[in-house]
Amino acid sequence: MSKVILIGSPNSGKSLLFNRLTGLSQKVANFPGITVDVGSGKLQAVPEKILVDFPGTYSLQAISAEEEVAVDYFERALEDPEVEQVLCLIDATRLEKSLLFTLQVIRDCERNGKQITVLANMIDVLDNHGLELDVDGLSAALYTRVLPISARSGKGLDAVTELLARRPDPARAGRPHLMDTPDVILRGEAHKLAHRFGPDGDVLIRTQTRLDNFFLHSFTGGVSFFLIMYLLFQSIFTWSAPAMDAVEGSLAWLADALVPLLGNQLVRDFTSDALFSGIGAFLVFVPQIFVLTFVIGLLEDSGYMARAALICHKPLRLFGLTGKSFIPMLSGVACAIPGIYAARAIDSPRKRMLTYMAIPLMPCSARLPVYTLLIAAFIPAETTLGGLFGWQGLAMFAIYFFGMMMGLVITGLVSRTREDHYTDLPFVLELPPYRLPGIKPIVRNAWNRSKHFVTKAGKIIFAVTVLIWVLGYFPNYGADLGESWLGQLGHLVEPVFSPLGLDWRYGVAIFTSFAAREVFVGTLGTIFGIEGADENMVPLVEHIQNSDLALGSGLALLVFFAISLQCVSTLAILAKESESRSLTLKMFVGYFLLAYTAAIAVYRVTEWIMG
Amino acid sequence: MAVIPSLWSLKAGDRCEILGYDEALAEKYRIRLMEFGFHPGEHVTCLQSPSFGAPKVYQVSNTVFSLDDEVAAHVSVRLSAVNE
Repeated sequence: MSKVILIGSPNSGKSLLFNRLTGLSQKVANFPGITVDVGSGKLQAVPEKILVDFPGTYSLQAISAEEEVAVDYFERALEDPEVEQVLCLIDATRLEKSLLFTLQVIRDCERNGKQITVLANMIDVLDNHGLELDVDGLSAALYTRVLPISARSGKGLDAVTELLARRPDPARAGRPHLMDTPDVILRGEAHKLAHRFGPDGDVLIRTQTRLDNFFLHSFTGGVSFFLIMYLLFQSIFTWSAPAMDAVEGSLAWLADALVPLLGNQLVRDFTSDALFSGIGAFLVFVPQIFVLTFVIGLLEDSGYMARAALICHKPLRLFGLTGKSFIPMLSGVACAIPGIYAARAIDSPRKRMLTYMAIPLMPCSARLPVYTLLIAAFIPAETTLGGLFGWQGLAMFAIYFFGMMMGLVITGLVSRTREDHYTDLPFVLELPPYRLPGIKPIVRNAWNRSKHFVTKAGKIIFAVTVLIWVLGYFPNYGADLGESWLGQLGHLVEPVFSPLGLDWRYGVAIFTSFAAREVFVGTLGTIFGIEGADENMVPLVEHIQNSDLALGSGLALLVFFAISLQCVSTLAILAKESESRSLTLKMFVGYFLLAYTAAIAVYRVTEWIMG
Repeated sequence: MAVIPSLWSLKAGDRCEILGYDEALAEKYRIRLMEFGFHPGEHVTCLQSPSFGAPKVYQVSNTVFSLDDEVAAHVSVRLSAVNE
């Protein structure tokens, strides 16, 4: 099957054009570096041809290992006889930024005898501002066909479709003129061509600057930043809550309707506890991922995301991170999974790796039930300063703050002490123009991201849930968790948790919470014979208070849960997104050991203070 | 000896001509800056100089970039007269 390569510099509208031509749904946003993977799809108008979308890059002279992979892949593709022609997309409003890359692509196409067409995108923006690109002049200077288009409005796409439908005509191939030209000459050439044929961009820059004067101002910029982040946070916690409840409720309803119809007790137990609980454990996150991806999409496409990265850069740099780490980390406060997805937009591989390390330490919503239980059980429900501050509220704030600080301290230490193969990139961020977000592609992207989560992580999460169910159910068919294989395992690992003052029951609850942290509460309820503890914690809180569990153990558990990476969904997505099982394993083991050591220290110090 | 100003020393509204890069800036970063249009002889305008040391915003040709001090402090410039 013939292939057509689509390539362009970041933020030139490549993904939008790809979606227009194929009817597919690559992620689209107004934020540099959105296309991370190579995507492909059949051309809608010419189904016998495939359009291959390459990651956006500023130059074919790679400066990071990741860019090198993209460039190598492109150069190998040019040698592929199935590749019929190349479409090189440029941003007509910012010509110089795109032209060096275009000249490099033309040179490589000449070397491989491939036909190239330059597509000058965003021509509608120039029209709206009364600006003009000298298409004929540029085409003559490049010895290459240049077509003015708008991927957003569809203007000029008929000519592209017509071009793609034809077989490439060798006679129409550009005159080889750059074959042996080095990059340094191309740089000067790009500069000259941009000034000669490009539009005067001052009008566009002036509009952008007026908005930047507001959004980057010391006062108005700070206020708008906090308001926007507050809305983002609300979207994760509040707006997605009804949908999450609906998913949970629907699954419970379906389980109630289906399970009694099953004859065999084993099948009934498996369907109810492993199948529905297993599916429910990860499906409940889907609305949150959808809403967060949608809101982040709005911020990216509007152009605000780049400004948010700029605002946060300085404080995060102290901890080895970048301003682009902020949104992923903030998302991680709701759930690490969308946070890890959001880290894709970080161009520096080293900073992205450090962000991955920080995200699981953000106090996610799955930790909330555990914190609520432990704080209610161990911290007095009293107030101070005339009722202004409650100790339990302060404890909740302290443990949230502790988790965030741990994330920053760890990345700060790792960034200062560890040399690795991840390339670092400087903070040079293109600030795209502001624009009204296109809702349809953002919704489509949020849908795709949710689907990716279900199909990729779902299998692993489900497998682990089933494994834990089997361990807890056999050999006594669910009669007594304490006598199950899981219970036996709890007794076996009891010496591990005894330095925290915890017995085997807490060991089992910690073990099951590796499926998802909140399972800790339900498991303790089951072990203590308290039904529905995850819905109503009061009897469980009273049971723990009446047991001999020391305050030191309670605080140790809080610290343990704040640091330990107990979430199979997060681990599955981390391994997929980082493409590094080694990093995932190191983080899992490292955070467990750190959590364990810190918990022992907290237990010992508390017990020493309490006498 | 007169101190050569850097891109980082510009205030909002300042315009300058790039003279070159200092040796402390890694070669790959210099290349990337040149690809973005920050090459010697090019005129750059500082559009925003936010508080608290946040990255500054520069216009080069008809594109806007944000650079932090780790990069901008290594680009030496000559300040242009207002109407230059």
